[in-house]
Amino acid sequence: MELMVIMIFKIILVIFLAFIIGIFFLGLSRKIIARIQWRYGPPITQPIIDIIKLFNQGSMSHGVLFNFGIILSLVGSIVVILFLPMGKMCPLSSSGGLLVILYLMLLLPLGIALSSGEAANPNASIGISRKFILALGYEVPLLLIFLAVMTHYNTISIVKIVKMQSNTGWSLTSLPLLLSGIAYLLILPAILGVRPFEIFKAPQEISSGPMVEYGGKFLAFATIQHAFNEFIGISIFVNLFLGGASNPGYFFLKMLVVFFIYQFVNAVFPRFRIEQALKYLWKWPTLLAFVGLIIVAITN
Amino acid sequence: MNKSLKEKLLSSFSDIQIDITEDNKVFINTKKDDVISVLNFLKNLGYKHLALISCTDWIEENEFELVYILSSYMENDTEYRNKEKTNILVKTRIPREKAEFVTLINVFANAEPYERELHELYGIYFEGHPRLTPLFLEREYKIPPFRKDFDTKKYVKEVFDNIPFVKDRKEKK
Amino acid sequence: MDRNKLEKWLKSPTKMGHKYSLHVVYFCTGCGIIEIPPSITARWDAERFGIIPVASPRQANLFLITGYVALKTLKAIIRTYEQMPEPKFTVAFGSCPINGGMYWDSYNTIKHLDKYIPIDGWIAGCMPRPEAIFIGVTHLWTLIDKEMADGYKKYRKDYKYYRENQEQIFGKLEWPPLFQKEVKK
Repeated sequence: MELMVIMIFKIILVIFLAFIIGIFFLGLSRKIIARIQWRYGPPITQPIIDIIKLFNQGSMSHGVLFNFGIILSLVGSIVVILFLPMGKMCPLSSSGGLLVILYLMLLLPLGIALSSGEAANPNASIGISRKFILALGYEVPLLLIFLAVMTHYNTISIVKIVKMQSNTGWSLTSLPLLLSGIAYLLILPAILGVRPFEIFKAPQEISSGPMVEYGGKFLAFATIQHAFNEFIGISIFVNLFLGGASNPGYFFLKMLVVFFIYQFVNAVFPRFRIEQALKYLWKWPTLLAFVGLIIVAITN
Repeated sequence: MNKSLKEKLLSSFSDIQIDITEDNKVFINTKKDDVISVLNFLKNLGYKHLALISCTDWIEENEFELVYILSSYMENDTEYRNKEKTNILVKTRIPREKAEFVTLINVFANAEPYERELHELYGIYFEGHPRLTPLFLEREYKIPPFRKDFDTKKYVKEVFDNIPFVKDRKEKK
Repeated sequence: MDRNKLEKWLKSPTKMGHKYSLHVVYFCTGCGIIEIPPSITARWDAERFGIIPVASPRQANLFLITGYVALKTLKAIIRTYEQMPEPKFTVAFGSCPINGGMYWDSYNTIKHLDKYIPIDGWIAGCMPRPEAIFIGVTHLWTLIDKEMADGYKKYRKDYKYYRENQEQIFGKLEWPPLFQKEVKK
């Protein structure tokens, strides 16, 4: 009985910490873009003000599936967070962690596709088809990277990988996994949906894609889901390649370093077209991950 | 080049007046029935670009005057390379009471939106035009708005000032 | 600007949220749209007040009508205004929506925009400079504080009279009425 109470407390704490970190990263990204463009930006707490306003605004619904789609996407993100260790806490640690994460990460675009199918707007259909093609693009190198990591450590569970790294040092320092780490950094903007792979949202071209019909509370949920998505993408890299951490504070510092790397790219680059993005994703990151996988398989 | 153009035109057509100004503009005044043959002749000489169709309202003489402005593309006009470009303006007069004319789509295919605009704003009917529907305006006008006997202040008083403010409408009820 | 005062946030978070996060519909109405990009870019930065342009009227809060309104544009403005979720605010720029402005005797522009959709505030000028736009936004904040920015409530209450005005100038409208009132027997 006591174990259940402790477990529920851990679950709520992990979700709350992930929400705070995700919202902080959203506000900090707007501030970084503003400062690079030589102007002051909004305050760092601006996403919280947006969410407070959006929950007090009316919205228009298109039916039951429209409401259900965004809830499915949000719940998918929350469940993936429960499988990732943050510091020493991992509420749902299991022996098949990496495969479950690879499978559940596809719930995010699937939920938004349900609601944009119900929205009956051609902009939404174009946006969501482009998102699926982009997902096809980054799933191939992602699978090769996971296979290389799993072969090197001989296990599928993320918690064991983090424990082994505290003995043998970070994964990035061993040569075969260095190539996989660089490949993951190259596809990280595609997983998160920032420039140059901001094909999902694209406010100037397709009027913000699948979110064109989202009003008050739906847009608030979409913002929260975007914050969780950023947390998931960075946290996988820190756990697999940078050795995890022993407490959440140290974990947050490592996430901040990775965050700055791709935000500086986001502030400066324009947007790819979808066929250019697919050509890029299937060329260099796939090649690097494949070479890394072969080297790992040979040396083991 | 302009002098030879003038001689060619004078020799092919009767009843035509040609005027060449100093900055290379050629004004041609023709009769109503000769317009299509003059334009075909100029098109065969190399002036293939119809730039504009315009209209002037001579209200005292009771006539409309249609103006067609032609020019040529750069490769075909040898004078352009020597920096002497010619603009040719062909003018005719049509009566104002029953304003009708033939369409130019068979000669220049891009005359369609110009003639549609002239029909909407001046009231000139072009026979053979496939689509004479409104282009800019949303309401019906008794007199076409660009004619000189259209009184704008009276129209604004009749239509726009007659719509009351919302609180006046509420108090009337 | 009282964005930093925490006790006001705890007392009425609704009003503070509406004030400091205004999303603008990026609809280029007339000739005044030339003054909006200077307000958004680096020199007169509007994002530090929380104002950001969005691409769709369903996500927006504030509608800026910049410049003269021709009859064809008025149809698009009414349709966009009716798609925005409540509460919504409208601000009119320039002297043309006030009384006709430079086009006071034209056959194709409307003279008083207040007869067709409700407007919360006007900013004078032809076109107003970005500093005038910011002073106008600050006035809108004080109106929201006193709860006097209720154009959308007037539209809901007097919709019958607005619709009669719109039908008088256009003839028959292609879209059905937005608020259906029940018929009392």
